[in-house]
Parts: sequence; structure tokens; C-alpha cells
Amino acid sequence: MDLARLVELGKIDKNTPHPPALIGQDGVLELTQLAIKKEIKAQIILNEGLMPGMHAIGEKLSRGEVFITDMLIAARAMNVALGQLKPFFLSGEIQAKGTIVLGTVKGDLHDIGKNLVKMIMEGDGWEVKDLGTDVSEEQFVEAVNNSTDAIVGISALLTTTMLHMGSAVQRLRENNPNTKIYIGGAPVSQSFCEEIGADGYFSNPHGLARELRKAPKLLI
Amino acid sequence: MLTHEQLYGNKANPNFEELLRVIKGQIPSKPVLFEFALNDRLLGILSGEARENNTSRIAPFRRLIRAFTNAGYDFTTISAWRTNTLHFVKGDLAEKESRSLNSGNMISDRESFEAYPWPDPELGDYDIYYDLREELPDGMQLIASGNGGLLENVIDLVGFEDLSMMTLLDQALTTEIFDAVGSRLLRFYEIVAPIETVGACIVNDDWGFKNQTMFSPDMLRRWVFPWHRKIVAAIHKSGKKAILHSCGQLKDVMDEVIDDMKYDAKHSFEDQITPIEEAYKLWGKRISIMGGIDMDFLARSTPEAITNRSKLMLEQGLLHGGYALGSGNSIPEYIPDKNYFAMISAINS
Ligand code: B12
Repeated sequence: MDLARLVELGKIDKNTPHPPALIGQDGVLELTQLAIKKEIKAQIILNEGLMPGMHAIGEKLSRGEVFITDMLIAARAMNVALGQLKPFFLSGEIQAKGTIVLGTVKGDLHDIGKNLVKMIMEGDGWEVKDLGTDVSEEQFVEAVNNSTDAIVGISALLTTTMLHMGSAVQRLRENNPNTKIYIGGAPVSQSFCEEIGADGYFSNPHGLARELRKAPKLLI
Repeated sequence: MLTHEQLYGNKANPNFEELLRVIKGQIPSKPVLFEFALNDRLLGILSGEARENNTSRIAPFRRLIRAFTNAGYDFTTISAWRTNTLHFVKGDLAEKESRSLNSGNMISDRESFEAYPWPDPELGDYDIYYDLREELPDGMQLIASGNGGLLENVIDLVGFEDLSMMTLLDQALTTEIFDAVGSRLLRFYEIVAPIETVGACIVNDDWGFKNQTMFSPDMLRRWVFPWHRKIVAAIHKSGKKAILHSCGQLKDVMDEVIDDMKYDAKHSFEDQITPIEEAYKLWGKRISIMGGIDMDFLARSTPEAITNRSKLMLEQGLLHGGYALGSGNSIPEYIPDKNYFAMISAINS
């Protein structure tokens, strides 16, 4: 079975009892190690081995054909592989598509949705700077100042916390009018996005990944 | 205190039979209101007691009942978190305006599962449900709900992401945890439902989020729904009605909610998922539809728009039956009071 399919299925390593049909077989860890040993270029392992798996599961999640659990285990498998590829990131042999600064808005501690955005964007080749939850406007601005080309993603759970997105967008715009800001979360809608002047609203993270793939200058 | 008379121009006259009509899918003889919970500020305004007074066991409940009566409800909801009945000890749930579903986890493996201080529902103090008989105005009954639902409590005990992994990697332990929580919740409803003051039960358990159910329908069928089926059967055995409060996108499992679990009514709706008008058309003939005035709409629209939308929904309900007016979830502090009053004032017309 190929690496992408193993990522999609969440077969982390040989000992993972999931999926039941693959018990005892090599997983993403073993195959990634093998690919490195065979001196396949790290960027190729990432782009052609791992990312298509995350892409496939993300697409299926956005169509409602799989569930969060499937995404979480695929992301774990992906992370194990990224751990193996870390030296190549550090040496600059692998380049990310760009940086996404991500956070749950001020006052809000909810994180499942944000974490899914992180997994899907990393799986699509982005470096994600996760600011965590309860992120103030200043923290967003500071993070963007540290990587000026970064795109910003903000999540919120309730109408009250969603309203803090407006001030975050305003502060980010004052700081750098060109920063792209995308928003999502339970109460967020397209009309709210227009109201606060964000660049886009997506009901699921895959929508953002798809949108960013369309932006030619951001592609590697 | 804001009295019923000040709000509606007449004395409160609660009649649980009207709500029962709605829950049975019938047309009530007056417009009926439904709400799961009102925030403390509103309870203060509606009861005349700004703060909860804990001088006696009954006092906070008396305030609650007075507030629900003045607002025009035919019932008062009593959540188990207010009582000393069944409570699962949680880890640290850091909370602001929201909280993380990954926090609070106390069970990560068999050892912590076995060491967990499982509560015994038999040891709970259920007297309060009996004692409130004296406090309830004529015609009013209590609606009892649990302190969180089955999936909600299991998520709190294990943590969402860890539970997700456990459902794939250790299914035997997953089953035991769900059974440990499910059996206790079932016992809670078996004890509470027959009590004479309790007219109906809310079974509260969020299953979905914006796009789909939080766990696959197959997982819910395996670990969650069988306990709900038993809980509803226990409530029905006492001759009471069962209302499901469950948020999020549930379209894939609504048929089972109705035909298999046999819930009498469904509460919690969102415009971004299925607006209440649509939900009523889709499912209203098969299950009663409660509330549904969207939370974001309620928080951010004008009072006029809120009254108009509420009136239109009430009209539908009075034409076809099986609808009671209320919010899509509850009335937290961030709903402006004037917007809440704009919604309930729709029963005036
Ligand atoms: C689980 C839940 C709870 C739990 C935990 C909440 C928490 N974590 O803090 C509990 C039971 C504690 C709870 C409590 C409350 N809740 Co609640 N809750 C939910 C529920 C059912 C699911 C939320 C969730 O965890 N989703 C899981 C993740 C995966 O979904 P997500 O965050 O939406 O993320 C997805 C997408 O939105 C997107 N996404 C998210 N962020 C981003 C960002 C970007 C950039 C992109 C591209 C995409 C993206 O990607 C994700 C994957 O697809 C929602 C219903 C809903 N529609 O979501 C109600 C909901 C959020 N709750 C609601 C309410 C009202 C409350 C309470 C106020 C109720 C009360 N009276 O006390 C309290 C709040 C108190 C508190 N401390 O949280 C309302 C909010 C309404 C509103 N507009 O304000 C909702 C919408 C339910 C409803 N019926 O209306 N809640």
C-alpha cells in the first residue's frame, strides 16, 4: 500500500491496531523511514507521499464522507512522518508553501475546530504558527510582524467571542493592510465576514486549503 | 420584579397540559413558550431577587420558579447541576466565554478508568423534586434534565481528541466508559421521571457541530444511541415525555431520533445548519419542534425583527401543531434582555 493511502487511513505504524484490516502491516512511520533510507528526496516524500493522503482525507471530511476521528488519526500519522522529515525542514531542503498564523479569538478557549484547521493546512504543506486559544489582537499583530507574509486564520465558538474577530481584523489591517485574514467557527457566516471586512469565510478548513491553492503566487 | 401582568397584561396562568399538547404534536389552545435555561440576570429581573439567595435549600428554586412563571412558561426546568443527584467529577475545566473540549480529562487508560470515583445515582438526594410541590403554582410542572449527557460527559472525562483516538485504538475500554456513564444517567432518569412534580424530561447531549456529527453515526449507534433508547423508554414508562436537546448538524441521525430512540420533541436549532422554519417543515409532523430562534439572530437582530420572526413561527405552530416558541439553545448573558423580551412578547398577539 502506498504512503498516501496509509496516511489517509491513519495507519500510524506497525503496532497501530487501526484500521483492523491492516493489523501487523507496516505503517506511515516504517514507509517514511524506508523512503528516507532509499534516499528519495524529502520534498518528494512530503509532496507526493504524505500530502496527497491528507488532501484525500480533508476532501472527504469536507464532503461529510468521513468524520473528525478519521481526520485526527490521519493527522497523527502525518505528524509521525513529519517528525522523521524534521532534519530536512531544518536544513531548508523542504520548504513550506508559506506561513499561517492561527488562533482562537480572545475570550474563547474552544480549540477542536482550530486544531482541525491546523492539521489540514499542515497536511497541505503550510507552516502553521498556532497561537492557541484566547488570542488577543496584539498577539495576532505580533505574530504577523514576525512573519510578514503570513496569512491569518481565526476561529470562534459563540456570537460574543465572534465579535472580537472584528477588532482583530481592524488591528491587523492597521498594522498591515495586505495581510489576508480568514475566519471560521460555529456562529461565523459569509455575511459576518463581509461585515468585518475579513478576506474569506469557510465552513470547513478544506475550503481554505482549496482557496489558497488557487492563489498562484503562494504556490511553491 | 417584572411580573406576568406587566409583561402580558394578565395574571400568570401556567398550564402544563398546553405544553403537553405541543409535545404530543397537537395544536395548543394558546401560544406556548419553551426554554431550556435563562441567565442569572434575567432570573433576577423576572423573580425580583437580583441574586440567588442560598439561605435555604428551596430558596434558589423558588426564585427559578417565580421567574419562569412571570415569563409565561407552563413549566420550570431543573437541571441536575442545581441538585445533589448525579454528578461526574471532572478535572480542571478552565473556562472563559467558552472552553476546550480537550480539557478536564480524567480517564486515559484502564487504570484511570478503574480509579475514577464513579458516582452512585442511588445515593443522590432527590427530595428537592418532591419538596418543590409546595412551590409550584397550580398547573405548573417541572422539566428535569441531567447534568450533561452521555456523550458530553464521556468527552469531559476523556477529552475530545483522546476519546477520538480511543474509539479507534481501544474499543473495549471505550465501551466500558460509555456504559459506566450511560447506566448511571439511565438510573438518574429512572428515578426522576416517575416523580409527580416532574412533567417531562429533557435529555441533553450535544452530538453535532456545524457540518456533521462529532463522531460518526456508526459510532453513535454503537456507544451512544442504545443508552438514549433506554433512557427514553424509562421516561415513557413513567408516562412522561422525553425532549432531546442536542446541538449541531444531526440530519444523518434524525430518523433514528424519531423512529428508533422515540423522542417526543427535539430542541436546539441553528440558522447555519437548519433554520427553524425549515426544520419544522422537514420533521415537524414526526416530532415536536421546540424553540429554534437562532442564537446569533437573537443576539444581534432588532427587537422588531425578532418579534416578527417569532410571531410567524408561532402562527405556523398554531396552524399545524407541535411547536413551542423559544431560542435555539438557551438565553445566556450575552442575549440582550430587550431581545429576549421581544421574542416572548410574540405570544401576546
Ligand atoms: C460542544 C458545544 C458546547 C460544549 C463545549 C463548548 C466549548 N468547547 O467551549 C458545552 C456543552 C460546554 C457548550 C456550552 C455552551 N454553548 Co455550546 N456548543 C457546542 C457545539 C455543539 C459544538 C462546538 C464544537 O465543539 N464544535 C466542534 C468543532 C470541530 O467545530 P467548529 O469549531 O465549528 O469548527 C469547524 C468549522 O467551523 C471550521 N472552523 C472553525 N474555525 C475555523 C477557522 C478557520 C480560519 C476556518 C477556515 C475554518 C474554521 O472547521 C472546523 C471543522 O469543520 C455547538 C454547536 C455548533 N454548531 O458548533 C454549540 C454552540 C457553539 N453553543 C452554543 C451556546 C449558546 C453555548 C452556551 C452559551 C450555552 C449556555 N447557555 O450555557 C455555553 C457556553 C459556555 C461555554 N463555556 O462554552 C451556541 C452558540 C450560539 C451563538 N451564536 O452564540 C451553539 C452554536 C449551539 C446552538 N444551538 O446555537 N457548548
